[in-house]
Amino acid sequence: MIRYIFRRLAAGVVLLLVVTMVVFAIFFLVPRLAGIDSDGLAARYIGKSPSPEAIAAVKERLNLDEPITVQYWEFVSGLVMGQEYDSGTDIIHCDAPCFGYSFKTNTEVWPQLLERLPVTGSLAIGAAVIWLVAGVSIGVLSALRRGSLLDRAAMMTALAGVSLPIFFTGLVSLALLSYYWPIFPPGGSYTDFTENPLAWAHGLVLPWVTLAFLYAAMYARLTRAGMLDTMGEDFIRTARAKGLPERTVVTKHGLRAALTPIITIFGLDFGLMLGGAVLTESTFSLPGLGKFAVDAIRGSDLPVVLGVTMFTAVFVVIANLVVDVLYAWVDPRVRVGA
Amino acid sequence: MTAPLDVPGAAEEAQPEAVAQTGGTRDRGRSLGQIAWMRLRKDKVAMTGGAFVVLMALVALFAPLIVSLLGHPPNQWNREMIDPALGTPMGPMGGMSGEHLFGVEPVTGRDIFSRIVYGARISMLIGFLATLVSVVIGTFMGIIAGYFGGWVDALISRLMDIFLAFPLLLFAMALVGVLPDAAFGLQDNALRIAILVFIIGFFNWPYIGRIIRGQTLSLREREFVEASRSLGASNFYILRKELLPNLVAPILVYSTLLIPTNILFEAALSFLGVGVEPPTATWGGMLSEAVDYYDSAPNFMLAPGLAIFLTVLAFNLFGDGLRDALDPRTQS
Amino acid sequence: MRKKWLGLAAAGTSVAMLLSACGGGGGNGEGGGDYSVDNSAISSIVDQSKEQGGTLKLAHSDQFDSLDPGNTYYAANWDFTRLYARTLVTYPQKPGDKGQEPIPDLATDLGEVSDDGLTWTYTLKKGLKFQDGSKITSEDVKYAIARSNFAPEVLNKGPNYFFQLLDAGDYKGPYKDDNLDNFTGVTTPDDRTIKFHLKKPFAEFDYLAAMPQTSPVPADADTGTQYQTNVVSTGPYKFESEWTPGQTLTLVRNEHYDPSTDPLTRNRPDKIQVQWKQEENDRDKRLINGDLHVDVAGLGVEASARQDILRNEDLRANADNPQTGFLLYFAINPNVEPFDKKACREAVLYGADKTAMQGAWGGTIAGDIATNMLPPSIKGYKPIDPYGTKGQKGSKKKVEAALKECGMPDGFSTNISYRSDRDKEKKTAEALQQALQQYGIKTDLKGYPAGTYTSEQAGSPEFVHREELGIIAYGWGADWPSGYGFLSQIMHGDSIKPAGNSNLSELDDPEVNKLLDESVQTEDPAARAEIYAEVNQLAMESATFLPYLNQKALLYRPEELSNVYFSEAYKMYDYSALGLEQ
Repeated sequence: MIRYIFRRLAAGVVLLLVVTMVVFAIFFLVPRLAGIDSDGLAARYIGKSPSPEAIAAVKERLNLDEPITVQYWEFVSGLVMGQEYDSGTDIIHCDAPCFGYSFKTNTEVWPQLLERLPVTGSLAIGAAVIWLVAGVSIGVLSALRRGSLLDRAAMMTALAGVSLPIFFTGLVSLALLSYYWPIFPPGGSYTDFTENPLAWAHGLVLPWVTLAFLYAAMYARLTRAGMLDTMGEDFIRTARAKGLPERTVVTKHGLRAALTPIITIFGLDFGLMLGGAVLTESTFSLPGLGKFAVDAIRGSDLPVVLGVTMFTAVFVVIANLVVDVLYAWVDPRVRVGA
Repeated sequence: MTAPLDVPGAAEEAQPEAVAQTGGTRDRGRSLGQIAWMRLRKDKVAMTGGAFVVLMALVALFAPLIVSLLGHPPNQWNREMIDPALGTPMGPMGGMSGEHLFGVEPVTGRDIFSRIVYGARISMLIGFLATLVSVVIGTFMGIIAGYFGGWVDALISRLMDIFLAFPLLLFAMALVGVLPDAAFGLQDNALRIAILVFIIGFFNWPYIGRIIRGQTLSLREREFVEASRSLGASNFYILRKELLPNLVAPILVYSTLLIPTNILFEAALSFLGVGVEPPTATWGGMLSEAVDYYDSAPNFMLAPGLAIFLTVLAFNLFGDGLRDALDPRTQS
Repeated sequence: MRKKWLGLAAAGTSVAMLLSACGGGGGNGEGGGDYSVDNSAISSIVDQSKEQGGTLKLAHSDQFDSLDPGNTYYAANWDFTRLYARTLVTYPQKPGDKGQEPIPDLATDLGEVSDDGLTWTYTLKKGLKFQDGSKITSEDVKYAIARSNFAPEVLNKGPNYFFQLLDAGDYKGPYKDDNLDNFTGVTTPDDRTIKFHLKKPFAEFDYLAAMPQTSPVPADADTGTQYQTNVVSTGPYKFESEWTPGQTLTLVRNEHYDPSTDPLTRNRPDKIQVQWKQEENDRDKRLINGDLHVDVAGLGVEASARQDILRNEDLRANADNPQTGFLLYFAINPNVEPFDKKACREAVLYGADKTAMQGAWGGTIAGDIATNMLPPSIKGYKPIDPYGTKGQKGSKKKVEAALKECGMPDGFSTNISYRSDRDKEKKTAEALQQALQQYGIKTDLKGYPAGTYTSEQAGSPEFVHREELGIIAYGWGADWPSGYGFLSQIMHGDSIKPAGNSNLSELDDPEVNKLLDESVQTEDPAARAEIYAEVNQLAMESATFLPYLNQKALLYRPEELSNVYFSEAYKMYDYSALGLEQ
């Protein structure tokens, strides 16, 4: 088990390294290939009509005139070991993990990421609970009553669910349930949990449900397909033949096997979502990581975009790792196989 | 040149994702395509989806004609429809009338119907092209991984995992943010469309890649491949002449199912303001402008929202039906 | 698998529900109703009171560029910093034109100019203290000027007028050169006297002395870019604790502030709180229900709240709709063909439909149609309209005549550039495109991010010529309320720069240059106003400017506020004067 975990950890580190390469390529390499010179790139990192002196300073800070390998090395080592920025009178230490420094607001990106994480976390966790419960139970029920009216209605709704853009369902729910019937607060009103748990939940109901609707639809489809596959397997027949009650067969044997792939996908989805449910947060104007990135794009604050992107990637890698380990714990065969 | 398909259906059970490389035995004398078509024709829901897809494709194709008959130029302002102080459309239902079928936009008074019709062009174009990119890369990587196995497979499979882990939307936003307005010999909307097609297509190839890999894995153990190999055929020959033709059906099915995903993705990017440049009409772009008017002009948000929903739903229905028709396991 | 139409049917119901909601929701007025707002805070001080106490709550939809008085260019922040950073000179708390006349603040008098016009002298009042009780000296003012203007590699957000005007040799700024004596542009003969040494005379120097950059900074407390987290107060309020950008800012009373040294009354509330990054619609709703007192950005409410306010008589009674001093215009670049021919430029000027552009910004509430290049509140403004058309909608006859004269009777093609992340500017560009199209003038829209617009695209003449940006969307507000403060950056030939250019018309008219140079050497304000009127006339005659809107904001003042008035100096409510009814 230890060896397995160690191996997965090593794989996770490799994955992280690849992710840094891709992020680096997008933020530093591709623009250069597209014909932007180092001055132009520096200007993009400052935003808002920079002076030549500011460009020179940023160029030096980001090593934009160095060879590409040096730039990459500095980029990665900055993340891992921290960076230093000149405030004019002092050296600002951006401690590891240093997710960059916004030249536009003269602030480190990391604390700002942390500040927005609770919002995105609240959104993701609440929605995940809803969609897992709803999606999986609907999927299981549909599979068990295949062909029934319930199955058909559920699957049709699910298909509609995956076909609806979240920013549309969000707007419709705001129009109906916040504006026309003012049951829920309008977009942009987030209350911190510690401040008032009731207001926190009240304000998040619409985003939760909107987001969960899409994922519940996806998970219901997946669960149903998975259940149909496993319920036809030999070991289920064996279990039935042994005379086990149908309930035990379904929950203990069928569901367990059908859920394993769902867990993998859930890990990925949840990890991605912790990096910001960009569309949901934009639609409901929730001050989370995704909205932070969108605002930064609009305000030409590139270091922030870079920071959020890296942050998200890290979450995905961690989520992957957790899932891998959970997996091995649930299913001993995996340890041997991998 | 297509391979004979009269292989016993034993492998089907073992390969849950198996789609349609078999089926010949039961209906001798009919080609796979004919059988699938027969099945598909009976599936009314899928056919309705298919019909809607064809309709939207025609709408996109003949947008100028449709608009000249039923609407107004999509970028033409109709200020007389707008309240000068409030900026909202005058008249009931957001200015809906025989003249403006879906009403007019706040502020500009542009005809929503015409913009929906023109928006279909961008959605369809990017949806199709991006899917094409994914299919080309995905098929290539999937076949290679599945056929050669070993470390090649391990490498490509890992690569696919990594790609699926990327925060795509953020990447797309970042790329549009850092790129200049003219690069790689393209500029303005041509460049934007190229970037969108590239990003959406390039990062989505593992979806196709995984399926093709699975199919190839099962195919390469088949007799006809073994036979070719024992006759001394080169790998390239086997890949091209034996495997690829047998992968056409799954490719078709999963392309049909990838297109709506890509259409949603394009709409999301336009919604976030990093899509095609205005005044070009896009459904996502219209929705993002509708955010400010969700309380006063609901038709402005309903029109593009429903356009996206119905188009994507139609593709999904058709794709599901196509998969069922081509997959012998799911027949009722 | 068989499927039914359930999903589609469900979708159908929701459409019907929404549409009926729309019918009842009243999103469709009859149009052209009476939407006039109260406007009394423009001409008078509303709810005058001497009461003190309470917490003044402000909110911003984004955040200021920096809270450092030496590193900011946001008008709203220049207004706001006066609560904790007093300057040599400031503006009186008076509505109307009088609010634009500088008065001494830290200084005993307005600046005293030498006979040659090259030296401006200010004397600090007695008894001025920083928040820690230490004495404010002339050296602190000198240091503030040095850091804010001569160290662009560190503090680059504010303007650099002092850098341009002061005779400082090649002084490198206090971060590279720690001997302040090497900064000869400002001298301090004694603790209370500050002398500014200019390269050439500048009659409007008092306006510069009113900028937050003249607020004293103790050198040993300076932390460069991070000074904004802990500004040392010279005003009635100080930071409660070290501030982290983005976090709520709380200002509390500064016990070392002596109101008797202050010409203004700016200490009414006990506490001031500013929240940042507040979503606009939410901010507006809180403003209307009194949960919030001021939108500190001062740009007015958004579309949704605008409709709420205009449709409600009670809300209209608490609203003001003043001009913001911001002039929106298109520059027509004479170095891009075919605009090298004046008649071709005139075709655009005659073809523009200014009512459509006004509509793009939100209609009559969003601004008054502009007909020339001076905002009405600036002295020297005359209502001239050399390229006027009937109803400001454009004139087919005049366009056709102009096109014929320029040798392109069938029209021509060019590009319109705009800032892609500014929705209203984008819409305006579309409006112009629409209007010109009917005369055969075909235009392509080119959007660029606002972040690089003035540094790389519109602000780079080389780029403009290469990409043939014939028509460039822009907007301008004065750095100080005078014709020079408004006009010099956008039409003086010397302002043309290879990057960061703001003279987008690339106007280099010797007559205009001469008049502008003359104006700042003319001491009589009335004579200066005459010059500005003349410059305005000449600029319009050059046919390189297409002004279309004198922007207005819809400001809402909650009932709880006292002493509310619109400051003509800052073009928003004067935050220093605000109090709360107890």
